Amino acid sequence: MDYFLQTFPQQLVNGLEAGSLYALIALGYTLVYGILEMLNFAHGDVFMVGGFLAAGVAGLFVHNGVAAVPAALVVILMVAVAMGGSGLLGVGIERIAYRPLRNANRLAPLITAIGISLLLESVVQVQISPAPVLVPSNALVSQRVLQLGNVATPFTGATLFIAALLLMVALDLFVFRTRFGSAMRATAQDREAATFMGIDVDRVIVVTFLIGSALAGIGGVLYGLRFATVDFFMGYLLGIKAFTAAVIGGIGNLRGAVVGGLLLGVLESFGGGFISSQYQDAFAFLALIVVLLVRPQGLFGQPLTDRA
Amino acid sequence: MGKPRILIFTAMASLGLAACGTSSPGGNANAPTKVQIAAEGPFTGDEASIGAGALRGIKLAVKDFNDKGGVHGTKVDLVIWDDNHKAQTATTLQAQGISDPTILGIVGPMNSSVVEASEPGLQSASPPLPFVTESASAIKVTDAGYGVAHRVNARDDKQAALDGQFMIDQGAKRVEVLDSATDYSRPLADAVQNYLKTKAPTIQVKRDSATNGQTNFSTVVTNMKAFNADWVFFADEGTETAPLVQQMKQATLQIGQNIQFLGTDGEDDPSIVTSSQGAYLGAYASNVTADPQSVSTAASFVSAYKAAYGSDAISQAGPFYGSAYAATQVLLQAIANSTVSNGKISRNDVLSHLGSDTFNTILGPIKYDNKGDVANVTIGIFQAKGTTASPQMASVKSVSG
Repeated sequence: MDYFLQTFPQQLVNGLEAGSLYALIALGYTLVYGILEMLNFAHGDVFMVGGFLAAGVAGLFVHNGVAAVPAALVVILMVAVAMGGSGLLGVGIERIAYRPLRNANRLAPLITAIGISLLLESVVQVQISPAPVLVPSNALVSQRVLQLGNVATPFTGATLFIAALLLMVALDLFVFRTRFGSAMRATAQDREAATFMGIDVDRVIVVTFLIGSALAGIGGVLYGLRFATVDFFMGYLLGIKAFTAAVIGGIGNLRGAVVGGLLLGVLESFGGGFISSQYQDAFAFLALIVVLLVRPQGLFGQPLTDRA
Repeated sequence: MGKPRILIFTAMASLGLAACGTSSPGGNANAPTKVQIAAEGPFTGDEASIGAGALRGIKLAVKDFNDKGGVHGTKVDLVIWDDNHKAQTATTLQAQGISDPTILGIVGPMNSSVVEASEPGLQSASPPLPFVTESASAIKVTDAGYGVAHRVNARDDKQAALDGQFMIDQGAKRVEVLDSATDYSRPLADAVQNYLKTKAPTIQVKRDSATNGQTNFSTVVTNMKAFNADWVFFADEGTETAPLVQQMKQATLQIGQNIQFLGTDGEDDPSIVTSSQGAYLGAYASNVTADPQSVSTAASFVSAYKAAYGSDAISQAGPFYGSAYAATQVLLQAIANSTVSNGKISRNDVLSHLGSDTFNTILGPIKYDNKGDVANVTIGIFQAKGTTASPQMASVKSVSG
């Protein structure tokens, strides 16, 4: 019991931090599903590419652990390049691999997405690095540990949590408070009717992929700065967990994705900390099964459109 | 003195005749027409950092062997099988070798899990395809009873005893034993846990597990801290170590100060110091093979390795570049000792020579027991020293037997 009380707050913080990354990636899954009813399985790998772009920028400016220009500038460049690169990659994937299949059997784009996912992993493995690549985070961001009583979290972990929350709020405001957000929701509700109302559906879909992929890109930067490493396989399990988070929250629902991600992170952390670390990954999927049995539509259930 | 002179003269004369002969492509009437061996390991993928250094060692060994005349004048061709640390890829690649009788043996596979999955296929091939691994240490690799199995490194039971005893000798009181849920890692962590339990029952042990490819260790580190561990034993192939030790440091568990860290083979790798941004400095790692830099008979090999791949190549070579060279020497000598009949060497003959001959390697003489294990292997413990930019693994303890 002592052990439980002593570690409970720390495991909660650990879980929220891990969960905020799941949530950030889950937003991309849920956005695309909300608009297109399509599972973009390559999304985890777009996140991975974002991480590699950030590592590339860091590698250009940091030599032997010392940044050649002000560290803040390098971080801004990492964010810009990763968001831009991942966003454009998402748009490119949509244009080349998904758009031609928009009216095909539902399985076709799903299989294509899995193909794109494997393609991205293979290209990065062969062309860039089969081994993990260092992100020199200690030359770029503070390595301070924030301590509150018994609970400690590194500055980079807290940044990940706060940045993820801010981005989620911004996305929510964009979707529910702007004119373009209305167009997105209209497209999600009825693509044909939206076209008749004068909405450029193709443009909406392109912007959806751009935003979702850019969020994955910034997720890649935050991951690199937190863990100081990126590798070609990093999007695989994280992508599956983020997808699980989106389903737990109710796929198609933005707030559901956030809650699903945080819940998943905390469940994993508690499971790993208090039951068995050997089954840590299994807890995520156990949670998925339980939620789907009890609430097949997910915790929040309503898709993107219903809050209009 | 008369006899040796006559022998030398005879040998020189026969070499001279061989050089003049044109009866076979190798320039020797007794030369095989084609000899191939395969190098197999994770040359790309999550363990490329250990595979790449080993492959360089194998290439160098084949080059040195060919420069000295090859197999009765025929140069050995090296086929490279990159199994990516995946058993399925390995068995597909090995199928090519099984069907090609000029492929006489494999140096590798490197990972125990891959070896164990490969053994039934290699043994049931006709003729069986022998292998000499430079790094697979699981007990089952040779205990499973497959005649094709040989290794130049020590087994997990020897390593577990070395690791367990080292922590006991250093005064460990509370040990967090971690594995990374692989076929390699889990049995080794079990063996160390059992050793501690048997030899030093007063030591408290907590067991935790990571997953292969994990980067977020916050849950495990929280457990470690709450347990108040003074030692961490992490049986790992090296890929998970940098993020783990870095997150330990962030949680104020500083290696060498308030906690000690002992890793295994894949962690005997100075590049982890760089990839962990210095958090790995002071950590220990045991290795199932000797460090060529501390073996006098390997001095010329170390110089040749640097000459071939650059003066800083050793720091990036990983833990198995020396054992890979030695494993290649073993296989090539067994091939050279085999009978050539109608320009061919039979894999059965190579296998029989592997079982009976004594081989001279850079790590000392090697003679196999009936399982394919070497009786006398030097293993050791190393410590990460130097700086983040220029790290090294320095030998702290070495045991033979």
